[in-house]
Amino acid sequence: MEAISLTVNGKEHNLLVEAHDTLAHVLRNKIHLTGTKLGCEQASCGACSVFVDGKIVQGCITPIMRVAGSSITTIEGIADKNKLHRLQEKFVEKGAIQCGYCTPGMIMTSLEFLESNPNPSTDEIREALSGNLCRCTGYKKIIDAVQAYVDNETNQDISNTKYNMVGQSRPYIEAQKKVQGKADYADDIQIKNALHCSFLRSTHAHARIIAIDTSEAEAIKGVHSVITGRELPVKFGVLPISQDETAMAVEKVRYIGEIVAAVAADTEAIAKEACSKIKVKYEPLHPFFEMMESCEDVGENEQIHDHCKFNNNIHKKAELRFGDQQQGLEETDNLIHAEFTFQGVNHGFTEPHAATAYWDENGLTIITATQVPHYLHRYLAKVLEIPMNRVRVIKPYVGGGFGGKSDPFPHEMIIAHLSRVLGQPVRVRFNREEVFLTNHGRHPTTMEMDLGVKHDGTFDVLDADIIIDGGAYGSFGVVTSYYNGVLLQAPYKIENFGFRTRRVYTNKPQSGAMRGHGAVNSRFAIETLIDRAAEKLNMDPCELRLKNFIDENTLTVGQYRITSNGSEESLRKVMELSGWKEKHGKLPEGHGIGVACGFFISGSALPIHWNQYPQSVVHLKVDLDGRVLVTSGASDIGQGSDTMLAIIVAEVLGLSLDNIFVVAADTTLTPIDLGSYSSRVTFMAGNAAKTASENLREQIVEAIASEHNVPISEINLQEERVFTNDKTVDLTWVEAIEIATRKVGALNSSGAYNSPKLGGDFKGAGAGLSPSYSFGAVVCEVKVDPETGHTEVLEIWGAHDAGKALNPLAVEGQLEGSWHMGLGQAISEQMIYRDGLLVNGNLVDYKIPTSKDTPPIHTNIIETIDPEGPFGAKECGEGAIHPIIPAVANAIYDAIGVRVTSLPLNSEQVLKEIKVKNKNTVSA
Amino acid sequence: MVKEQKYIVAESLKDAIRAAVASEHDFRFIAGGTDVMVNRYQGNDNTTCLIDLTKIDSLKGIAKIGDYLRIGALEILEDLQFSDILRKEYPVIIEAALSVGSPLIRKTATIGGNILCENRCLFFNQSEWWRESIGYCLKCDGDICIATGGKNACFSELVSDTAPALIALNAEIRYMDKDDTHQVKLEDIYTGDGVLPRNLPSTAIVMDILIPLNQQIETVFFKLRERKSMDFTSLTSAVSKTAEGKLRIVLAGVDPKPVVIEGNIHDDWEDLIKKAYKASRSVDNDTYSRKYRKEMIKVFISRSLNDLNN
Repeated sequence: MEAISLTVNGKEHNLLVEAHDTLAHVLRNKIHLTGTKLGCEQASCGACSVFVDGKIVQGCITPIMRVAGSSITTIEGIADKNKLHRLQEKFVEKGAIQCGYCTPGMIMTSLEFLESNPNPSTDEIREALSGNLCRCTGYKKIIDAVQAYVDNETNQDISNTKYNMVGQSRPYIEAQKKVQGKADYADDIQIKNALHCSFLRSTHAHARIIAIDTSEAEAIKGVHSVITGRELPVKFGVLPISQDETAMAVEKVRYIGEIVAAVAADTEAIAKEACSKIKVKYEPLHPFFEMMESCEDVGENEQIHDHCKFNNNIHKKAELRFGDQQQGLEETDNLIHAEFTFQGVNHGFTEPHAATAYWDENGLTIITATQVPHYLHRYLAKVLEIPMNRVRVIKPYVGGGFGGKSDPFPHEMIIAHLSRVLGQPVRVRFNREEVFLTNHGRHPTTMEMDLGVKHDGTFDVLDADIIIDGGAYGSFGVVTSYYNGVLLQAPYKIENFGFRTRRVYTNKPQSGAMRGHGAVNSRFAIETLIDRAAEKLNMDPCELRLKNFIDENTLTVGQYRITSNGSEESLRKVMELSGWKEKHGKLPEGHGIGVACGFFISGSALPIHWNQYPQSVVHLKVDLDGRVLVTSGASDIGQGSDTMLAIIVAEVLGLSLDNIFVVAADTTLTPIDLGSYSSRVTFMAGNAAKTASENLREQIVEAIASEHNVPISEINLQEERVFTNDKTVDLTWVEAIEIATRKVGALNSSGAYNSPKLGGDFKGAGAGLSPSYSFGAVVCEVKVDPETGHTEVLEIWGAHDAGKALNPLAVEGQLEGSWHMGLGQAISEQMIYRDGLLVNGNLVDYKIPTSKDTPPIHTNIIETIDPEGPFGAKECGEGAIHPIIPAVANAIYDAIGVRVTSLPLNSEQVLKEIKVKNKNTVSA
Repeated sequence: MVKEQKYIVAESLKDAIRAAVASEHDFRFIAGGTDVMVNRYQGNDNTTCLIDLTKIDSLKGIAKIGDYLRIGALEILEDLQFSDILRKEYPVIIEAALSVGSPLIRKTATIGGNILCENRCLFFNQSEWWRESIGYCLKCDGDICIATGGKNACFSELVSDTAPALIALNAEIRYMDKDDTHQVKLEDIYTGDGVLPRNLPSTAIVMDILIPLNQQIETVFFKLRERKSMDFTSLTSAVSKTAEGKLRIVLAGVDPKPVVIEGNIHDDWEDLIKKAYKASRSVDNDTYSRKYRKEMIKVFISRSLNDLNN
C-alpha cells in the first residue's frame, strides 16, 4: 500500500492505495464519489472521465500513483455548491439525460473541450464527444445541449408552464440529480460490511461437470464461502413455460461463460483470485453452435436440454396460418422471395449489471439493476424456496435496459443465497465482458420470406419461415418466436398470411428480449421485400406502402384490434420532409434514399403469469403537507416513467410537480406493475395512475361539494386550487385536502389497469395482442463508397405515432434513441462467436455508433389520440427501431443497386454484394 | 507469495532506466497508459513494477533541430494539431494522430506510446478467462496461433496509425539504453514477429522521433475502420512521394510490422500494389476478414497513388 494525498473537488484526502490501482476505483471506492461511472474499464466508453489538474482523463486507465498530489475534479465538483453549471442546466433543459449513466462523462468531456474551443461547430461537438458512448439519446439532445450552451441560449422560462402537464416538454424529475452525478445506481450504493461476489465461468460450451475442487479457493484468507450449482438447484426462467435455468450450472454447462461457482470474499480482488483457484473437471460433449444443426436429430449426441419434445434442440415451434396461403402463393401475380441472415446484437446499456443483497427481520432485500422487479421477486422466492412475502426487490436508478435487464438473473439468486448463508450483505458487479456473456440480446436469425403482390400493388399473401437462435436457455424466447411472425400482420393489410418460427437451443449465451422485441428482423425482411415489389411493379415504394396500409378501427387477419393508426400520417410526414419525391431514384450513383415503416405493440395484453391481478396498480396518498405520494411498481430505467406518472397525476389533480412525490419499483413499498418490457408502462401504469388520480379527485370534489353545498360539476382543480366556476368557493389545494381528509378520515386512492379481453379463439391467438399499437416511418439518406462498401448515413427523418406525447421532450428522446440503436444494428453491431466463444465482448470490438457515426436526426411525433391510452398516449420506446434498419438497406439499394440481406450492412458485406452485382453485370 | 506492486514516477531518463535495470525484467514503462493499462486490465501484462515516464520533461517538445524535426516521445496525440511547425511541415502526422482511438484516448496517449503500442489480435486482446477458454495462443505462452488455427508464428498486428505516416516520411527515432543514445530508422525497430514485435532492448526508452526536414514530400493517409471514432485500425496506409517521384508505401494493421514498399510514381502501379499485397501477412484476427482487408490494400494504395499523381 502507498500513502498519497489527493485534492478532490477542493477537498484534500490522505489515502492508502494499492500501487496499481486506478483513479476511478479510488474515487468510487475510497472517496465514495460515485458520479464517476464505470462502463467498460477499458477506456472505450468515457463514463469515468474526470479532470486531473484541469485536463481530462478516463479514470479507469489512470494509475492512481501518477496523479498523487494532483487536483482532481469530478462531476460532483462541477456545480457551484447547489447552483448547476450552465452546461448542466442545458443538459437538463434539453432532455440530454435519459438513464443518466453516461451523463457525468459527457459533461466532463464537453467542459474540457469547450475550454479550448468555446465556439465549436456542431461537427466539432460531434467529434469531441466521440469517445463517450451513449445508448439512450442518439446523441441528438446531448449535442443540442452543448450547442445551446455555446450559443449562450437563455434558459427557458418554465414558470408559465408550471401547471401545463400533458403535452408540455419537461426534463425528467430526477434530471438535476443525474446531471450532478448524485443519482445512485446499483453499484453506487454501499451497504455496510458487504462482501464481494465473483464468479467462475465455464470455459466449455457443452460439457459434463465431473468434479469441482474448491478447497484451494476456500483456503484463501478473506474468502467466506465458495458455492456451486448443487446448492441452488431450483430451476427458473422469466416465462413459466421455460423454467430451464439454474443459478449456477448443475451437472453440466451449456455455454462458455455460464456460472459454475461463486465466491464471496472480503474484497473483489480476493474473490477473483479465489475463483481462479477453483478446479473444475469437465467431460466435453458435442457442442451445437449452428441453428440448422440444432433443428436436426442429435443422434447419439446429448441434447442441450432433455425436455425438448423430440431428439433435437428445438425449444419452441410457433406456427399460425390465416386465409389461404397455399392458394395465395400459387395465384399471386408477383411473388417476391428472399432469404435473410441476422447476427445477434446486444443491448449495450452503459451500466453493467450490479446488485447488493442483505437479510434482516424482513427477510431478503435486494437492490439490483433490473427492469422487472416483479418477476425477480417471484423467482427469488422460487429459487431460494421462501415465500414471496420474505423478498423485497428495490430498483435504484438504472443505467439503461432495453430488454437486457428484464430477466431474473443467476447473479441475483446467488448473492441472495450467499447473503442468507453468511449473514452478511453480499454485492456483485459485472465487468463488460460479463455483461456480454449474460447477453439476452436479440436472437441471431435466419429467415425466408415470400411476399405476393397483385399487379395493382395490393399485397395478397405473406409467408415467413424463421429460425431463431436462442442460445443455451429459454428466457423470453417463446414470445420472441411468436413476435417474429405475428407482428408481420400490420401495418399492411394482408389476407393470406402465415409463418413458422423455430427457436433452437445452441451452446451460446442465451438470447432474449431486446428493444423492438422479436419483430425487428422480420420487419427488416418484409420492408425489403416491399421495396423490391415496388421496383418490380415500377411503383414508388412510399406509394406502394400507402396503398396497403391497414385502416384505423379495424381488425387484422389475426384479429388484432387496431384502434388509432398513424401510419399514413407518419409516412407522408417523412416523405415531405425528406424531399422523397425529388430524391428517390434520382440521386447520383452512390447516393441514395430509402424508406420503411413500422408497427409494434403498446404493452402485451396478456400477462406472462396467468392470474387475476391487475397488470398495473398505482396508489396515491395525501395528507397535511398537500404533497401527493405516488407509489407504483413501474420501473424507470431511463425512459422517464417516474416523470410520466408525476405528469399524469399532476394533470388530473391540477397540481404542479412540486406537489408530487414518486416512489417506484420497490416490491414492498409499491403496488404491482409487471415491469418495463413490451412497451407497456405508459399505457398501463399511466392508465392506472390516471384512474387513481381520478378516484382521488372524486373524493376531494365530493367532500368540497358537500361541505359548501355546491354541485360537483361546478368544481375545478387547477393551479393548486380547488374552486367553483363562480369562485364562490375558492380554496387552496391544502385547504381542500384538509376538508376532504376530515370527511373521509384518510385520503388515499388507487387505480388499476387491466387490458380488455382481446383476440381470436385459436391457439396462439394471444401472441402480440395489445390494447393499442404504434406505427411509424423512417426515411434515410446514405452515401456508399463503391470501392470500400462503406455506408455513411447522412440524415434520418423519422415519424412515430405515439398516440399523444405526454412529455414531447421524453418522447423525442425515446425515438432518437431507437433510431440510433437501429442504426447500430443496421451498420456496425454484431456479436461474433468462434466455437461458441464470444469474440468481441467489449466496447471497442462491439461497435455501437459514436456521435460521429450518428447523422442529424429529424424527429416527428405523430399524435392520433388513442381511445384507450392515458390522454391518448401509446408506446414510443421500441416501435421506432423497426423502420430504421430496412430504411438504411433500401437506401443502399437506391444508392448503389445492391440488396444486402444479412445484417449488419457493414462495409465488408456491402462490398461483397457490390462485387456480385458487378460480376453479374459483366457476365450479362 | 504475491510480489509487492510498485509504481515509480521517474524524474529523469537515467532514473527510469536505473529503476528498470533494478526491476530485473519485471517492469513496464508507462507513458499515457492507454495501451498498457488496458492490457493490464485484461491480464496480458502482469509486471509488478510500473515505471511512469510522464514527468520526464526532456521527452517533450516539438522543434526543428538541425536537419530534423524533433517530436518528443511524450507529446500527446491530441496536442500535435496545435504545433505550428508540424502543421506547416508534416500535417499528415497530425492527420494520423487524430485518427487514433477517440478524442479521450488521444488526450492521454503519446506519440511514443503509439509507435510502441502492443500488437493486437482478436484472440489475444481478451481477458485471462477468455484466453484460457480458447486455449492460450503463442502471444500469451501458448503453443500455437489460434487465429490461423495452428501456425507456429504470431500474426498479431501493428496497429499504430502514426508509425506508417512517420515511416512514409523517413522518420528515425532516438532511444536511450543504459548510458547510450542510439538513432535508428523507425521501421527498423519492428521485427515482424507478433510475439516480440520490436527489437529494442527492454530497458530502452524512446526519447524522440526525428523526421528529416526539407524532403519536399507529399503524403496521403487512409485508415480503415467501421466507425469514425474509437476503432483500432484494420488497415492504415501512408503513401509518400518526393519531388522526384520516389514513393514510400507504408501499411499498418495487416502485418506484425509495418509493410514498407519503395518505388517510383512512374512504376507500374499494379506491380507496386501487388508487392504490398503480397508482403502483408494478414490473418483472420480482426472483425473484418483477412480477405476484405487485403482487398482494401489495393483500394487504399491506388487511391493514394491517384491523389499523389494529381
